Amino acid sequence: MQKSTIPFLLTSCLALVLVSCSPVNLVQDYKTAPVEKPVFQNTYFANPEIDYVYKANISVYGNELTGIFVAKKINETTHRVVFTTEFGNKLLDFEISDTEFKINSIVDELNRKILINTLKDDFRLLLKKDFMVTEKYSKGTDEVVKSKDGKYFDYLFVSTTDHKLYKIAQVTKTKEKLSMSFTSENNIFADKIVIQHYNLKLRIEFNYFKQN
Amino acid sequence: MKINTYILILLLSLNSFFAVAQEQKMSESEITSFKQSVNAVAKKITTITTDFVQYKHMDFLAKDIETSGKMYFKEPNSLKWQYKKPYNYSIVFKNGKILIDDEGKKSSHDIGNSKIFGKINKLIVGSVSGNMFDDKEFTISFFKTKTNNITRLIPKDAALKKYIKQIELTFDNDDFTVIQVKLIESSDDYTRIVLKNKTLNAKIDDSVFTN
Repeated sequence: MQKSTIPFLLTSCLALVLVSCSPVNLVQDYKTAPVEKPVFQNTYFANPEIDYVYKANISVYGNELTGIFVAKKINETTHRVVFTTEFGNKLLDFEISDTEFKINSIVDELNRKILINTLKDDFRLLLKKDFMVTEKYSKGTDEVVKSKDGKYFDYLFVSTTDHKLYKIAQVTKTKEKLSMSFTSENNIFADKIVIQHYNLKLRIEFNYFKQN
Repeated sequence: MKINTYILILLLSLNSFFAVAQEQKMSESEITSFKQSVNAVAKKITTITTDFVQYKHMDFLAKDIETSGKMYFKEPNSLKWQYKKPYNYSIVFKNGKILIDDEGKKSSHDIGNSKIFGKINKLIVGSVSGNMFDDKEFTISFFKTKTNNITRLIPKDAALKKYIKQIELTFDNDDFTVIQVKLIESSDDYTRIVLKNKTLNAKIDDSVFTN
């Protein structure tokens, strides 16, 4: 009995190691396509004339946090990002560019290094406009561009029928870190954005605020 | 020449407009009489139902963020803010609890867990009913314009002061109830809440505060 259990256990462990270390392949069924443009642009937050205002729902380890998310491009490189309660009290106020990060204010309850770093990375990816394309893939009406982003790779999924970016997946070589999905009616801004983390129990949903 | 005269007249009339809108500090006797009037009205209030429009002003935005809805208050301390535009969100403060209904998603929290939330709650209830001339909590100053009375409150509590630099309450000169609440942050950005179509002392069913 024991003899047969040991090889089984060993095989299972090996299988587990192989599965967990296997490279992430988000474009398995896709064909490699030629890279025509070296830069892909995400313009959902790129217009300095627009106040991007969203109702936000953040679910973190079973806790729900709701409020208003505001982003605005304040100069060529930088966005101002503010999260307030429904009453308008500011919970956090950041300035973010590709290389710089400044905290204007944050309430004590949210002033945790791990949370700040996670939000900083998420917002930086969300607001990033220019992605340097290293590879390109296609399948039917779908196109995917791959871009190197520090220690991560970003896969940007675009529907070629309406030329809309509908998903960004951020991965390491072996793990999918997060996905950002976009729903956009007009292609000018995203009506709905969902950021789903896979290594943390964190989900952020933004719904565009239709003001009078 | 003619144009210059017009400009002069325009400037003069603008000047007189600003003079009317300009506020003056109340005298000691005016403060005493104003406080008495507000307290007398606040004492008689058992319920308040009112529409509200909230403007969140942040200097870096092109436009204030506007939300609106209905507010219900019932003595001694049940309060509901019901946002209807552009989203459905309501928050009830009742018996030390906060009940939230966010587009049908319900949750409840103890105010006791958050001292600062308790203070903000007290402040909101006080602002709406006008019953907040507490010298221990605030440094208060009183002003008057031709149409309104304005009270400015600076929190003494360090924790509260970090979030709110000043609260400005505007009272109607006729009925001594609050018509506008302005919460100013240390950054000078502010939230301005305008209360309108107010009804006092109409019956409000307890079920309104269940969420």
